[in-house]
Amino acid sequence: MTIERLNELGADTKDGLARCGGMEAFYLRLVPMALEISKYNELDALLKEKKYDEAFEAAHALKGVLANLSLTPIFEPVSEITEGLRAKKELDYDALLVKMWDARNKFAEEE
Amino acid sequence: MNDFVDSRLKMKRRILIVDDEEINRLLLEQILKDEYEVLLASNGKEALETVEKERGRLSLILLDLLMPVMDGYEFFNSLQKDSQLSQIPVVVLTSEKEAEVKSLRMGVADFIPKPYDIPEVINARIARIIQLYENRNIITATQFDVLTELFNREYFLEYASIFDQFYPEEEKDMIAVNINRFHVINEIHGHALGDEVLCAVGKGIKGYVNDHKGLACRYSADSFYIYLPSDDHAQGLLDTLCDALKDVLEDSDSRVRIGIYKNASANSDLGKRLDFALLACNSLKGNYNEHIAFYDDQMSKREHFEEQLIHDLDRALSEKQFKIFYQPKYEITSGEPKLTSAEALIRWFHPELGMISPGKFIPLFENNGLIGKVDHYVWEEAAKSVAEWKKKYNVSIPVSVNVSRVDMLSKGLAGEIKDIVDKAGIDVSEFLPEVTESAYTEDSTNIFSIVNELREKGFRIEMDDFGTGYSSLNMLTSLPFDVLKLDMVFVRNIHTDERVRRLVEFVMDFAKYLGVTVVAEGVEYKEQYEILKELGCDIIQGYYFSKPLPAEEFEKLIEKGLKGGEKNDN
Repeated sequence: MTIERLNELGADTKDGLARCGGMEAFYLRLVPMALEISKYNELDALLKEKKYDEAFEAAHALKGVLANLSLTPIFEPVSEITEGLRAKKELDYDALLVKMWDARNKFAEEE
Repeated sequence: MNDFVDSRLKMKRRILIVDDEEINRLLLEQILKDEYEVLLASNGKEALETVEKERGRLSLILLDLLMPVMDGYEFFNSLQKDSQLSQIPVVVLTSEKEAEVKSLRMGVADFIPKPYDIPEVINARIARIIQLYENRNIITATQFDVLTELFNREYFLEYASIFDQFYPEEEKDMIAVNINRFHVINEIHGHALGDEVLCAVGKGIKGYVNDHKGLACRYSADSFYIYLPSDDHAQGLLDTLCDALKDVLEDSDSRVRIGIYKNASANSDLGKRLDFALLACNSLKGNYNEHIAFYDDQMSKREHFEEQLIHDLDRALSEKQFKIFYQPKYEITSGEPKLTSAEALIRWFHPELGMISPGKFIPLFENNGLIGKVDHYVWEEAAKSVAEWKKKYNVSIPVSVNVSRVDMLSKGLAGEIKDIVDKAGIDVSEFLPEVTESAYTEDSTNIFSIVNELREKGFRIEMDDFGTGYSSLNMLTSLPFDVLKLDMVFVRNIHTDERVRRLVEFVMDFAKYLGVTVVAEGVEYKEQYEILKELGCDIIQGYYFSKPLPAEEFEKLIEKGLKGGEKNDN
């Protein structure tokens, strides 16, 4: 995984790197941690089980991490899920999960 | 403080990051680790354990709100229950405006939004918060008197001044509170009880000012000040303080003195307001029946007058502004009254203030210890006069002189008086030191040793003002003295009040039993003189024979005595 490749996938690495004090290696160490599949599985399962309160907490946590690393393509659907759950809106969470997985998997393939 | 910790102590402050997301923790750790020592916790429970372990060593906590096990809100609330831990600034990490507002209302120091800002911003923000809190904590720690938890004097003056600026039109009272004979509590019962007394007074004052929207400080030792909106505070405050002291001191009702400067104008100098309240308070010194005094202009005038006397004393001594007057004492036991001795009494002829009565400066100098200088002057002058009369008239007219309590504190007193007598070339029998009865009874051990030392050197000691102290008959039998001077209060009514006459008769008998001479002071009327003579009094002093006279006039009495006609016409 490289910065260039992350940029190509739509990550805003400039911001992400800035938060890491410009340390590429450190940034590239954190990105795989943010792609850790268990976090996504947990959110996916909770939404499917309609455990919305718990799903909100999981989505919220994931959103924060993705925002900090500026992994924008994954951040966007997770953010939408988070805000929907916060507002207790009836959204098409399945569709948002698909978007989330697509984006996450693209990044994960680069590992 | 920051400069001191950074550059002098070379100390890295400690920051605790509490976040359940490892990535967030690592990110912040990366941002902060160069400047700070970073500790990590993944939930509120872990964080509480760390905080407890690091008690007193954490400079800041970065806190995520949504966490498993224990969330940020619960953690923060737990922290607030501990007076020490609640002083640590907590900065919330959040991405929601709603949470920002909520946490600020709860009392967090600040928030850092997610996603995080660039490291420089976070570092600057954290450094600023730490600095603000450290300064705040230093102020909090230093603005109070440690013992009583009232303000210390500097902060009291600062807040009083702010109070004035905000409410310039509101009339306020400045109140000084002191504790009677506080040093005695410390000396006799120890500092632990002294501290208990101060704490109790502090607690009482704190309760009172809280109820009356004022402020208070412990200014020094047992000196407190209260500043609050003007009202009828005197009795309520006194009751509060007596009540506060009742579990600590047995005589709590007589311990407090309160001086009030009422309706203190915001335009007058704050320092003056303190002075005026203290003046009123000090006017109660030594008066254990009165506990409240209000400042009035007379107090200030008296204070200025006394200040001038203190200032002018040394000059007055060197310029001999003090004159010694001699009041003759007549021996009445055999036939015609005969001039036998005199009492030296001082008068101050001030170049600007005119003749100042000793009643105005002697108590003042007794209180501040300067009386020693005055007494010493009188002793020297009196000894010289005795020597001069011997030389001039070839008679011995002993003179009695006052020895104040302060003089008694000087270990070399007996030697000092003996030197004066020797230097003047008179005999010790011609110089009669007078010690008041109350001095004997208040500090008997010390007085005994000094009086005995004087007697060993041959001096005869007069017990002055007998009847105004509280010596018991039993005590009188063991006190070392040679002459008893009956106070004028007994003489005043001796011719009109049978009970007084009997009392004096009893004193005469008792004096005979002790083998001491009795001198009656303040004799003004023939009736008084005749009764005293009949009762067996040895010596009479008073206006009946003569008022105190300047040396030159007194010499005329000596001359008259030598010629045979004794009683003065003055």
